[in-house]
Amino acid sequence: MATLGATLLVLAFVFSAYAAAASIVGARRRHAGLVDSGVGALYLVAAVMTVASGVIVHAFVVGDYSIKYVQRYSETAQPLGYKLASYWGGLDGSIMFWVFLLALFGAAAVWINRQRHRELIPYVVATLSVVQMFFLFLMIGHNNPFATYLTDTPGAGQGLNPLLQNFYMAIHPPTMYLGFVGLTVPFAFCIAALVTGHLDDSWLRAVRRWTMISWFFLSFGLTLGMIWAYEELGWGGFWGWDPVENAGLLPWFTATAFLHSVMVQERRGMLRVWNVTLVITTFLLTLFGTFMTRSGVVQSVHAFGEDRQLALMFSAFMSFTLMFSFGYVIYRLPLLKARNELDSWASKEAAFLANNWVLLFSALFVLFATMFPTITEAISGERLTVGPPFFNTWMTPVGLVLLLLTGIGPLLAWRSSTLSTMWHQFKWPIAAGLAAGAVTLGVGIRVWTSGVCFVISGFVLGTIVQEFWRGAAVRREATGTDLFTALVGLVSRNKRRYGGYIVHVGIVLMFMGFAGEGFGRDEQALLKPGQQVQVDRYVLRLDAIRATDDDQKQMVTAQVTVLDEAGASLGTMYPAKWFYRSRPNEPTTEVAIRRSLAEDLYIVMAAFELGEQSASVEVHVNELVNWIWIGFGLMALGTGVALLPETVFAFAGARAGAEVAATLLLIGVLLTPAPARAQDANASAAPAAKGTLVFRSPLERELANEIMCTCGCRLPAGTCGMMNCHGKEEQLTKIHTMVEKGMDKDAVLAAFVEEAGGQHILARPIDEGAHKLLWLAPYTLAALSALGLAWLARRWAAGRAEAAVAAPAAPADDALQQQLDDELRDLD
Amino acid sequence: MKHKAIKVGLTSLVLILSFGGLLYSTMSESTEYYKHVDEVMGEPAAWYGKNLQLHGYVVPNSIMRKRNSLEYRFKVQSQGHVVDASYTGIVPDTFKDEAEVVLKGVLSQDGFAVHPNGVMAKCPSKYEAQVGAKGGAPAAPAPSSGTE
Repeated sequence: MATLGATLLVLAFVFSAYAAAASIVGARRRHAGLVDSGVGALYLVAAVMTVASGVIVHAFVVGDYSIKYVQRYSETAQPLGYKLASYWGGLDGSIMFWVFLLALFGAAAVWINRQRHRELIPYVVATLSVVQMFFLFLMIGHNNPFATYLTDTPGAGQGLNPLLQNFYMAIHPPTMYLGFVGLTVPFAFCIAALVTGHLDDSWLRAVRRWTMISWFFLSFGLTLGMIWAYEELGWGGFWGWDPVENAGLLPWFTATAFLHSVMVQERRGMLRVWNVTLVITTFLLTLFGTFMTRSGVVQSVHAFGEDRQLALMFSAFMSFTLMFSFGYVIYRLPLLKARNELDSWASKEAAFLANNWVLLFSALFVLFATMFPTITEAISGERLTVGPPFFNTWMTPVGLVLLLLTGIGPLLAWRSSTLSTMWHQFKWPIAAGLAAGAVTLGVGIRVWTSGVCFVISGFVLGTIVQEFWRGAAVRREATGTDLFTALVGLVSRNKRRYGGYIVHVGIVLMFMGFAGEGFGRDEQALLKPGQQVQVDRYVLRLDAIRATDDDQKQMVTAQVTVLDEAGASLGTMYPAKWFYRSRPNEPTTEVAIRRSLAEDLYIVMAAFELGEQSASVEVHVNELVNWIWIGFGLMALGTGVALLPETVFAFAGARAGAEVAATLLLIGVLLTPAPARAQDANASAAPAAKGTLVFRSPLERELANEIMCTCGCRLPAGTCGMMNCHGKEEQLTKIHTMVEKGMDKDAVLAAFVEEAGGQHILARPIDEGAHKLLWLAPYTLAALSALGLAWLARRWAAGRAEAAVAAPAAPADDALQQQLDDELRDLD
Repeated sequence: MKHKAIKVGLTSLVLILSFGGLLYSTMSESTEYYKHVDEVMGEPAAWYGKNLQLHGYVVPNSIMRKRNSLEYRFKVQSQGHVVDASYTGIVPDTFKDEAEVVLKGVLSQDGFAVHPNGVMAKCPSKYEAQVGAKGGAPAAPAPSSGTE
């Protein structure tokens, strides 16, 4: 198996080399056959990498410990999901995962654009192949995931540290990689455009969707990393300006700049040198990020080991890419001349230019500060580092300027704005900003950076609302429909723009979440049972510390009652430390978080004395932190809207029937939270095992989470946190009696159902037979309504087309017609 | 053309100078030297009072915590040189005997005083060969307290 895998990697390398060579030669000699064979070789590499991935995944699932990589990151007892996730769990596999994704994306990108951008394709293939060759070379020559033990094959695997086996570890790397790898495609098209000299807007159009999708995944990966740090790692924050974190952030800055800058090139033919530079820089930064975290060049908490050879290879490839790419940019400068000049500083172009500068500066600054130790060591021999305060001092004002631009940009006109138009555009948003400032002062926030952030947030939100409002108003007048239909129609006419506005709303919310960190509170306290500590407006009282255990671990849980200042109970929280049997010296900290829109109460039990029942706790009050996650949700929604195909919502262009469709949409949107709420009960039914009571067996605990508590809290008996809850006690005693009698899980559940006269006593409906359909209901409904909407849409669009004037005499050439359709469709 | 070049050049010069100045002033406040224990303890007096990030390995059986508090005393070594460290606060889950740590703090005659949240124990890297039980849970990176 291992030899098969290793051979496949070598084959992939050979095929990539052929693809690169054939494409370039074929392009130069205008030999279509050679180019086609190059494209075919690219597809073949994708297939080969898929098989190779299959081989390594198979090795993980089966437990082939003769392969070193499998032996190091997997073991028989490991859950299947984490065995699969171990594919990208280590250096070697992560590089193979990278090549796998790149091969797939590359093949897809080439296939989609094979007709439309025929002149660019050979060089796209060549660029993609060269990048693949580099990573494949890294694997074959240096870190081969298929390397085997030459003599003794260990019988068992070491396994992934169970403390790393959590949901975020499984999902955060792939999303980051999707972002990184996806950004290679725009780079490939950019190089192709530079080499062929076709530097008009066609290459931009080809990569528009790719960049948006990759950017989205990068944002998603970064947000997941933040959530992971916040929920799992227990230091109360979500971003530490650690080199590994920064590595993911750097390409995000330049990719964001690129996404905006292309608009200026499309509209006014300006900023063309900027655009190629940004794309190349983004790609180089993705390489750099990978290199930095794997080579030991920078010290990081995410200790990624030191590997000089790897560092050398990466440096060589990056230098080559840098020289080649920018060399071509310089060579093509005459073709990249702007078609227009900046007419005025009060123009959209100027705002975009400022946006580019700010984002580029951010990227360069973060890069500089991250590499500072290496730079100082090279210069003076001393390694000097800079920490979060340094980053925050600089990035806070930079972030605020960026936020301000988010509001100003949409309000300025292309070319130039007169003072009167500017006043007309800015007056309400400024009012909104000032109102936000007044509210901030009124609420009592005195941290000036946060205050400024809120003022600007109000301003930006004001601009976005105004844009939607005025756009819809104009459309209402033009089409005579109601407001909601006008809104839908407005968005459908310009999905990129309005989707982008929704993304901006998400960004504003995230910034508000960031600003909240400026006025949160932290406290440390040592508590004995019954003792209280006051943090902000909460009073925390330690009730007890309990030790429980299950097969895998021992859990020490503190029960902390939260009271408000008046003394009323706000609930109970259970921070804990878990001691896994396999790793007794390394406890995990289980943080207790009480979330609300305004703030999070975040408790960590740092140390405890079981004998004295005392605990040291660290308490954070994180203001507005949940707005960060909500903000990202909106970003996702906005990106989705911006990515929708052109023909969607075509029906909303029609007058009649649009109301129907719009209403359906509205209903659909309103109903979406319903399944989410339904799931919520299940989430709390999951064994939180926060040690409310000592369960005498795992079965009892399981049952306690399946049977509802009768006290009216609408939670399962195992998680009901009510004080003096008799209902819970009763249920648990009943469960215990039944289990003692020897009844199994199904029998106990059935007994409860019979006694209660219905399934309402269960936390979730029994998952079998007809009840399985209950699970499917929300999803089926959603799917059916989506299909229904789509069918309606097509009918309306077809109806409109027929009603429209008959098309002028079609060109005789079908291929030309096809190309015309494509290009018309692409025009936005 | 020349006029434009002068404008661009002058603006760039001003920008670079001002940024450079700002950078310099902010950096001198928050820079820390990154040293290994043996590099410092060879000549400790030279490093008294300086902000350091000290890299080393926790000496086995040296971690002591005062009862009912979060005050820790432990020893950190590298290449045979040892330094006494003292710290009050939360330690990351991976902090234990022989853990590879980076400590942010100040060296003095009494030992190395670690700043709040200044203990960084290395994460059991997915990308590093794990020999034995080095490291454990994902470590807590060290932020400045509260302000993010």
